[in-house]
Amino acid sequence: MKNSFFLTALLLSSLAFATDSVESTEIIDMPEATAPTASNVVKNDPLLQENFNIHLSVIGQGVAPMNTTSPAQAFALAKRAAIADGYRLIAEKIKGVKVEGQDTIKNMMVKRSIVRTYVHAMVQNANIVETNFKDGLCEVEMEVTLSYADLAR
Amino acid sequence: MRSRDGSNTLLCRPCTLIFFLVLTLLGSDEYLISYRYVVKDAVLYNENFLLSKAMRKCSGTPQKEITIFNDKHLSLKKLLSDTSGEFIFYLHKLGLDVEHRVIQNNMQNSDTTILTLHTTCFKVDFNEDFVILTPLR
Repeated sequence: MKNSFFLTALLLSSLAFATDSVESTEIIDMPEATAPTASNVVKNDPLLQENFNIHLSVIGQGVAPMNTTSPAQAFALAKRAAIADGYRLIAEKIKGVKVEGQDTIKNMMVKRSIVRTYVHAMVQNANIVETNFKDGLCEVEMEVTLSYADLAR
Repeated sequence: MRSRDGSNTLLCRPCTLIFFLVLTLLGSDEYLISYRYVVKDAVLYNENFLLSKAMRKCSGTPQKEITIFNDKHLSLKKLLSDTSGEFIFYLHKLGLDVEHRVIQNNMQNSDTTILTLHTTCFKVDFNEDFVILTPLR
């Protein structure tokens, strides 16, 4: 009898607490999600428009192989690799990258994770602006100007 | 003096000779050139430069040409080999096909970049001290 009274008191007090918490909660009127319009879209990538040019600049990096016979050969090979990297960066910026991922999970653990990225593009008229070679690493600054007229051709 | 058939003068013969000589001198050769190099993990892995004389007439619009000085009167193969830096820089400007793929396997990256100049026909004009190469596309 004593126990049931105690339980009833506990139940009533908890109900009172719950009612208080509901009363104290504010209901905020959330605005509905709006469709992206021209005004609220964040301008991330510049769009090529008539009478405007887009100027892209990248820095490609290349390393000299270990088995070179002279520093000059090392520089030449590292520069070639750096130019290829620069071309790749330009292609990525202009055309975009295709990304494909695959994860294998077994017993709640990642067994295998593969990410493949792929770029394929044709790059013309890229200029080398500056070349630096230090400690076996060659850095090539490259730039390319995209014009509407060139693409429209 | 008359020729054997009696209808044409001998004067025609030197003219014909000169005409064909000029035609031979002005006539340019056509060569097929392709170039490809592979960079693996930021290190140059393989480079290929192929040159061959075209066996049939090429067609295409002439693009921006390159002039290479040839005071030693070298063959095209030797000349391009000697001035490979200059010519390969020009090929880059001409436009290369870029193919790049990265495979990240269990957080370990491996990337390959292939730059290719697909087989392109070049009109080659040999002059006294220089050679003009004009790509046809």
